[in-house]
Amino acid sequence: MSRPRDVVDALQATIVGQREVVEALVLTLIAGGHVLLEGAPGVAKTLACRALAAAVGGVFRRVQFTPDLLPSDIVGTRIFDQRSGEFTTVLGPLFANVVLADEINRAPAKVQSALLEGMQERRATIGLQTHDLPAPFLVLATMNPYDADGTYPLPLAQLDRFLAKVVVAYPSLDEERAIVDRFGAGEPALRANAATLDDVLRWQRDAHQVFVDAKLRDYAVDLVRATRGAELVAHGASPRAALALVALARARAYLEERAYAVPDDVRDVAPAVLRHRISYDERIAIAGTDPEDVVRRIVAGVRAP
Amino acid sequence: MARARRKLALAVAAAGLALAAPAAAQGLRTLHVEALAMHADRTHVQVGQVFHLAIHAHVGERVAALDELVVPNVGTMQLEGDERRVTASPSGTDVVETLTLEASAAGTYTFNAAYLDAIDARTGKPTRFSANPVRVVVDAPALSYAIGPTLRRIAGEVVLAGAAVAVLVVAAFALVLVRRRAPPPPPVATPTPPPAPAAVARTARDEVEDALRAYRSVPANGSLVRLRGALFAAAGAPPGATLRDALAATRDDRLRAALAAAERTAFGPAYVRDASSAELIDAAQAWLR
Repeated sequence: MSRPRDVVDALQATIVGQREVVEALVLTLIAGGHVLLEGAPGVAKTLACRALAAAVGGVFRRVQFTPDLLPSDIVGTRIFDQRSGEFTTVLGPLFANVVLADEINRAPAKVQSALLEGMQERRATIGLQTHDLPAPFLVLATMNPYDADGTYPLPLAQLDRFLAKVVVAYPSLDEERAIVDRFGAGEPALRANAATLDDVLRWQRDAHQVFVDAKLRDYAVDLVRATRGAELVAHGASPRAALALVALARARAYLEERAYAVPDDVRDVAPAVLRHRISYDERIAIAGTDPEDVVRRIVAGVRAP
Repeated sequence: MARARRKLALAVAAAGLALAAPAAAQGLRTLHVEALAMHADRTHVQVGQVFHLAIHAHVGERVAALDELVVPNVGTMQLEGDERRVTASPSGTDVVETLTLEASAAGTYTFNAAYLDAIDARTGKPTRFSANPVRVVVDAPALSYAIGPTLRRIAGEVVLAGAAVAVLVVAAFALVLVRRRAPPPPPVATPTPPPAPAAVARTARDEVEDALRAYRSVPANGSLVRLRGALFAAAGAPPGATLRDALAATRDDRLRAALAAAERTAFGPAYVRDASSAELIDAAQAWLR
């Protein structure tokens, strides 16, 4: 039986650095949520997703979101078979264990909406038939923070559906040199089957049993409430953020092979849970403040139990 | 003549400083500890029965509290109550701490001696004053239908006899104390007022020691929060810090072990709390040593 740490190790064997990103992906997988990845092109976002799918032996599909994409392009459609004279269902790329929605903000709202509905309901309707999505099911959506012209920014209510948002930073100097060494002669083989899909489903069940003390629940709620009315914040996080904090804290404790969560678990996952659930007022641009600093200040301002 | 007197005064002051320095370094009070005893009102009980463990200390000074008094770990006994009474008397101060305990399992329990650390006023040296250990035998719950009336009568008589002996012991002890205090103090040529106790700055270690004592007496949530906070402060972590902050702030392996045990006890599920609580007490004691 594999442990979540085996998947982390498998990803680290492929990806240079980006330890926080790798752990966030595995934590979200354990918690049964979906991840929003933000980073410049070429920082191994797609590679991380492919490596994750390979490590758990799951089916991987990638959809490049473009302005002309239609909901049926991701969900599937019914086509007429001339030979049989009947309509048959063709399942779209959403029917996979790990789905990479590349540049999600480049598709119009109706496509985003179809994807988010699938994420929430874990099933999709094609014609008159509803089909369950495979389990485990993880959507990794990327957003490029640059080249925002002609994009369709996701509204706060839809961003809230993502359990976590991970910022993929540029690698350090040594990491960048290691990338050239490792990938200079072509992409290395991904380390496959470090775990099975059944292992993942078991982790998801077991992580639900991780004990969370009432003091930690209160800490999670305090963190979320601190976002409301904070300086430079227009709209704070919703109660769903508190649920996400507890779910990811449980997953982190499980990754660390603990049967209970501790304040470090909550504090560590707080930026990933809160950063996309906050909207900022216009003064943030005038002040030139990095939104990440606002999140950091909010987290640092709440006393851990 | 005046120069000689000044030299004498300087020598006395230097001697005084030399004596005071170790005391200050220990952070202990100077006390005349005249009695320290521990006794149980019943040394033979059955599972589920309540008994009392009393610790009595008498010091020659008038003190408002005797925080130095460390009561024994009650182990697996259920602590039902903990009452400390401080009574001033012409001969000093009496401190009586009464622990109300309920035996939860059969066996023979030996309560380690209560103790207090102080500078012995007689010798001027740091001393640990210890009481006597107390042994209590806990029997499995008796089945009333299996005990004949004669046996019950005998048991009742034994309990009565034990109580009578305890009363006699306490009375004898009080008599000895009174007789010891009875002789008038020898005349002193130049009576001087007792020196005011110097305010000793409390250290993080003192805080942990106090918090540990409180936690051992009543291992409840409030005393656990206090002990964990004291350990975090001892590591140099600010209030509101997490375990990782505290571990990063200290290289002391014993303190790190105590911090980890405190975290487990504070946030672990109920079924591991007893074990982690015992581990916390051991780890904190190991660090204090």
